[in-house]
Amino acid sequence: MRPLLANRSVRPYLLLVVIATVLWLLDGGRGQFLTTATAYSVLQQFATIGPIALGLGLSMIIREFDLSVGGMISLAGCIAVLTGARHPELGVALAVLVGLAWGLFQGAIMIWLRLGSIGVTLGGLLTLGGLAYVITGNVSISYPRMDVALAVNNPLLHVFSFRSLVALAAFLIAAFVMARTRVGRDVYATGSDRRAAMVAGVRTWAIIPAVFACSGMLAALGGSLLSYSLAAASGEALTNALVPATAAAIIGGVSLLGGRGTPIGMIGGVLVLCLLRAGLNAVGTAPAVQDVVTGGVLFLVAIADAIDLDPRLFAIRRYWAEMLFRGDQLARPQETSPAE
Amino acid sequence: MSEQTLPGTWQFDWRLPLPHSRRGKVLVAIRAIAVLALVAVAVATPGFFTPVSLFSLLNTTSFIGCVAIGMTFITLSGNIMSFALGVTLSTSGIVFMAVLPLGLPAALILALAFGAALTGIQGFVVGYFRANPIIVSMAALALITGCATLITQGQGVYPQGEAAAALKGRFFGIPMPVAAFLFTTVIAQVVLSFTRFGRQLYMVGSNWRAALAAGLEPARIVLGAYVAAGLCTALAGILMAARYSSGDLELGLGYDYSAISAVLVGGTAISGGEGSAIRSLVGAFIIGICQALLLLNGFSTQIQYLVIGVIVLLVIMLQTLADAE
Repeated sequence: MRPLLANRSVRPYLLLVVIATVLWLLDGGRGQFLTTATAYSVLQQFATIGPIALGLGLSMIIREFDLSVGGMISLAGCIAVLTGARHPELGVALAVLVGLAWGLFQGAIMIWLRLGSIGVTLGGLLTLGGLAYVITGNVSISYPRMDVALAVNNPLLHVFSFRSLVALAAFLIAAFVMARTRVGRDVYATGSDRRAAMVAGVRTWAIIPAVFACSGMLAALGGSLLSYSLAAASGEALTNALVPATAAAIIGGVSLLGGRGTPIGMIGGVLVLCLLRAGLNAVGTAPAVQDVVTGGVLFLVAIADAIDLDPRLFAIRRYWAEMLFRGDQLARPQETSPAE
Repeated sequence: MSEQTLPGTWQFDWRLPLPHSRRGKVLVAIRAIAVLALVAVAVATPGFFTPVSLFSLLNTTSFIGCVAIGMTFITLSGNIMSFALGVTLSTSGIVFMAVLPLGLPAALILALAFGAALTGIQGFVVGYFRANPIIVSMAALALITGCATLITQGQGVYPQGEAAAALKGRFFGIPMPVAAFLFTTVIAQVVLSFTRFGRQLYMVGSNWRAALAAGLEPARIVLGAYVAAGLCTALAGILMAARYSSGDLELGLGYDYSAISAVLVGGTAISGGEGSAIRSLVGAFIIGICQALLLLNGFSTQIQYLVIGVIVLLVIMLQTLADAE
């Protein structure tokens, strides 16, 4: 059990089992939770949050953080809906291309001007959000192709849909690249110790823009498919996916300190979060409860991942030990006397 | 240049305080050109220098400015930004409206304390455990939004009685929000420049480990910075709730982004340890003036979002020039 728990990529799946059991017990045999409908809705949420969580997770693995995905989701949705009326594939391709270009641009700025990712991507978030407002003219645009909207959501094999299969495929490709190729190894090296990686000959100047390009492309892919499935796009983000995506990546074993986490673990993390949300929905709680649960989970993982957690806990334990020790009048002389 | 001066004698340096490096001079030049361009457009825009337009500019800038002053403390402490200040503003406004029957002073104190507590908890987690500030603020955003929606059922809270009317009035002829904004800026700048807490805040922001090694308690100072941010934000929330005669969750929507934009445009470093409250005031006014000018020249609201985004991106890119000094 110990080595299993120590593996960061296995933990989310154990958590998944625990949450599924608890929700099943909460449901109390009413049969509203353990259905293919719940599984389908979990996977639909997976399709929405998954690609964004993967992009964010990859940027966290190289010890950066891509805030701009928040803006990219809505911009990509708008681009896809505006250009993809006749050829839906073309709309998605264009959106993904914009994501790629923007990611490369951000990465290049970071390398060239030696800037931190938070600042640059914060500017990116505001700019992309503004761009989405401009190209839509600040109104919600509807997508005329209802057949496409139905096709991307149509259940396949009862629980999957085109969207969730695309998301899963993205995760599996990323998992292969990260685990089996030189690029993947270089990405981990860049994240765990950038200077050492550079000295060892890793081309970090290429890895960083590449990861941001992936993150932009994944956000654009997720955003455009989401807009197709809702048959609408607007400058206002249709879903605030940044918070759940971040939570999912961290639950999935990615560390903010870089160099840790795998795409397979992230699948588990996203599933945990989606199961929580869909499960709460299935057992009939208010939508705001989902916010509270997501926020609470993110708050806890933020503390669990904090730099100074261990020293502080140690200090607290020592404080309590001393308090108890002082209360015990007999213990102290007995322990100190042999030393004297 | 290297004139011999006797120790103890003091001579006034008539030269402009220009930075010594070439990059630094380029930065000063770019800033000067940007400000001149802004002034030129303002002069060329008919209707900008009218009392009505200046008045509305002052009023709208005041709310964003208050939050920006709060955000300045967080940015200076090295914790970049908080995504939760907008929702802190809204909920402080709601609390203010809800406890108004207790009387104006009690409501003011309770709402300010509420705002300080909300950000204080985040400051505690960020300071004592050194949790990631961005993640903590995102979690706080989701938690506070969810809890507030559950408690208020998504409805606005409306004031009982006329106690809040006093906040809609004028203070020696200046509208209340503007007076509060200027007052907050002055207090914040005095705290930052002339108190021990202020000096320590700059030190923690520029180098946490050095501050720790120098015997400071960075955790406490970060907590203080977040509490200060909560107080400023709650003040903005109270004034907004009083102005619109309602407290609801929509009040502070997007204010965190506006506030961090103002902080960065003012020239406070995103990496912490460098900046001031005055700079944020200037930043808030630059953004406010840009918005007003775009509006008066017939551009739509959506262009404003884009322009502000691009300005923030450019300012962040220019920051490298400042760092190279």
